Amino acid sequence: MAFEEVNSKVVRAHVSPATPVLARRGAMLGYDGQVTFRPVAGQGGGVGGFVGAALSGESNPMMATEGTGSVLYGFRGLHVTVVQLDGSGSLTCEADRLLAHDANLQTGVEFIGQGGIRAAVRGAMTGQGLFTTKVSGAGAVALLSHGGTYAIPVDGGGVAVDPQAYVGHVGNIQVDLSAKVGWRDAVGRGSGEAFQLKMSGQGTVYIQASEQKF
Amino acid sequence: MMQTYDVHTLPSNDNVNAYAFSIELAGRWFVSKGAMIAYYGNVNFDGVAAWASRDGFIASRFSSPIYIQDWVVAEGQGKVIVADRGFDVQSFDLEAGNLTLRANNLLGFETGLELKQSIVPGFVTLIGTGKFLASSNGPVIFVEPPFRADPEALLGWADCPSPSHHYDAQWMSASLGAMLQGMFGRESGEERQFDFTGEGTILMQSSETLREDPALMRLIESQTSLLSTQQAGILGQRLVARAQQQ
Repeated sequence: MAFEEVNSKVVRAHVSPATPVLARRGAMLGYDGQVTFRPVAGQGGGVGGFVGAALSGESNPMMATEGTGSVLYGFRGLHVTVVQLDGSGSLTCEADRLLAHDANLQTGVEFIGQGGIRAAVRGAMTGQGLFTTKVSGAGAVALLSHGGTYAIPVDGGGVAVDPQAYVGHVGNIQVDLSAKVGWRDAVGRGSGEAFQLKMSGQGTVYIQASEQKF
Repeated sequence: MMQTYDVHTLPSNDNVNAYAFSIELAGRWFVSKGAMIAYYGNVNFDGVAAWASRDGFIASRFSSPIYIQDWVVAEGQGKVIVADRGFDVQSFDLEAGNLTLRANNLLGFETGLELKQSIVPGFVTLIGTGKFLASSNGPVIFVEPPFRADPEALLGWADCPSPSHHYDAQWMSASLGAMLQGMFGRESGEERQFDFTGEGTILMQSSETLREDPALMRLIESQTSLLSTQQAGILGQRLVARAQQQ
């Protein structure tokens, strides 16, 4: 099942009993057919998943869309990009960028703090904290962004991304904070460009054409 | 290469780009207050309220007291460019028809059209023949009934009966149950929809967040005249309590 792009800000999902969809609560714009919406707790995975998500701050109010019909999804006029996962690599992104995804995809909260203080600073800068959401399996994910999402291939080393413009990434990518961090930046008097995410490895990184957070 | 316009090359009654529309003014237009971003020519902008007192024609065309403060009459010769918060602006031609639109998204209309207040709060109905301008977050999506729409994402509807409310029973019971467990709030956005049936067209936009509608307060105020003095007092106490919570 895939999401059909209606325009840059809206996707249409064809829901059937075999292909339910998980979506951000409140993102439904309209629907036809026999469709129901059921709130689900956090990132799936039952009670454990919910507790984990609540602890990490990565809990996103989600709802399951079930039944038969077609549903329009959009959220606050943000741009929507559909990322197709073939099952070989998982998508890492912030929870609040998830608009909708096939219910058969697994979502989990990933701890990204292993990198020590650097990863911690990175988390603080991107607003992600030390946790991020990992979506794995084969299926489609609709991502939210401000100003539209652009895919940049990462091949080997050396793609630097503004933390505010970072949307997510797919593939075997290491993310590190580039180390131009001085006391000046720490107290907020720098140029604003001192923090950069260094992406290396193989895969695709998604960025948005804006530095605005939502 | 950036396109530069002058008096002669500016489009007439056409979009300048997706987000701005250039009205060729020769006579009068109704324009939403704040929508005009530029104009040239000999154009006067006067409040509809001021016009209505001296011109019976205007008063008969603009038949909605709660919106009267938010609209101006543009009169004269020239070009008036209107836009709205970077939203997409589209022009529509209505031919002896009627169309109901979210009042906030109506930017202007020709005086050949008549504006009435819809029975659905926050919406106005245009009747007659003429051009009007509407803004929407993202391009407008046209849908045919049967269709259920999120009330906030709804831009308007044409030629079909007014919608009714639809409450999703399963959602209601699920969120009621969840509320008992204290896990979810009531704010879901999905428990209530507008249900469209019959023939016609529904206009949707890509967002469910709205600009503040100043006329809504006036509408609710005018409708609370249905309450008795005692009921009005209770309502007042509840509103005060709500305001203090935030």
